[in-house]
Amino acid sequence: MARKAEVTNNIRTLRFFAREMTQQELAEKTGVSRQTIIAVEAGKYSPTLELAFRIAEAFGLPITEVFGYKTKESS
Amino acid sequence: MPYQSKKTITSMVTGLLVLAAYCIYAFGRYSSGAIAEGNLKFWAGTMLVFIGIGVVATIILQIIFHIALSIGIAVKDRACDEKEIDMRIEATVIEDEMDKLIELKSSQIGFVLAGVGFVSALILLVLGYSTVVMLNVMFLSYLVGSLMEGAASLYFYGKGVSNG
Repeated sequence: MARKAEVTNNIRTLRFFAREMTQQELAEKTGVSRQTIIAVEAGKYSPTLELAFRIAEAFGLPITEVFGYKTKESS
Repeated sequence: MPYQSKKTITSMVTGLLVLAAYCIYAFGRYSSGAIAEGNLKFWAGTMLVFIGIGVVATIILQIIFHIALSIGIAVKDRACDEKEIDMRIEATVIEDEMDKLIELKSSQIGFVLAGVGFVSALILLVLGYSTVVMLNVMFLSYLVGSLMEGAASLYFYGKGVSNG
């Protein structure tokens, strides 16, 4: 049985609570392109630890409140 | 469409044009009987010229693309001042970790295809095909490899990419 891991995130919700921060604004704050923020938010790209910390810093939250880690068994 | 995808499409269009121009010119001359099959000097010279054309065309098209992109952003954000427009352009053309990962993965695919072409060319030579066939298979596999690199890059931008 293999274990499949998935990195989840609350970026969309956090942007909403940060006065509807735009993806472009978050991209500028973290020094990446808007395309990368879109991909991270949609779960299409798992950011490096460094970018994950920068995103968390942009919201003023610890990394664990922005990102989660789920594992599931798959046969 | 994001900047990196547009840039990749521009490169792919250049690659396609060079490939088409090479096929029309070289195979056209060969099929008309103007070139003897064993004339390796002609084939090597033609390939070198088309490599040069490809490099120059890529540079020119990328410059035109970036000028058009800057004009597009400046027109779209004409209400903003010059400094803000410069910042928008900078934010658009930024190359980050995801771009580097996609570039790495897609260039891997391009290299594999070029490698397969190289081995196929050697096999064809062993099977008794002429050196002209070998040279062309090798050259075309590099061109197709670079096109596939672009296609893989577009795929990763659309579908996403994972570390691992």
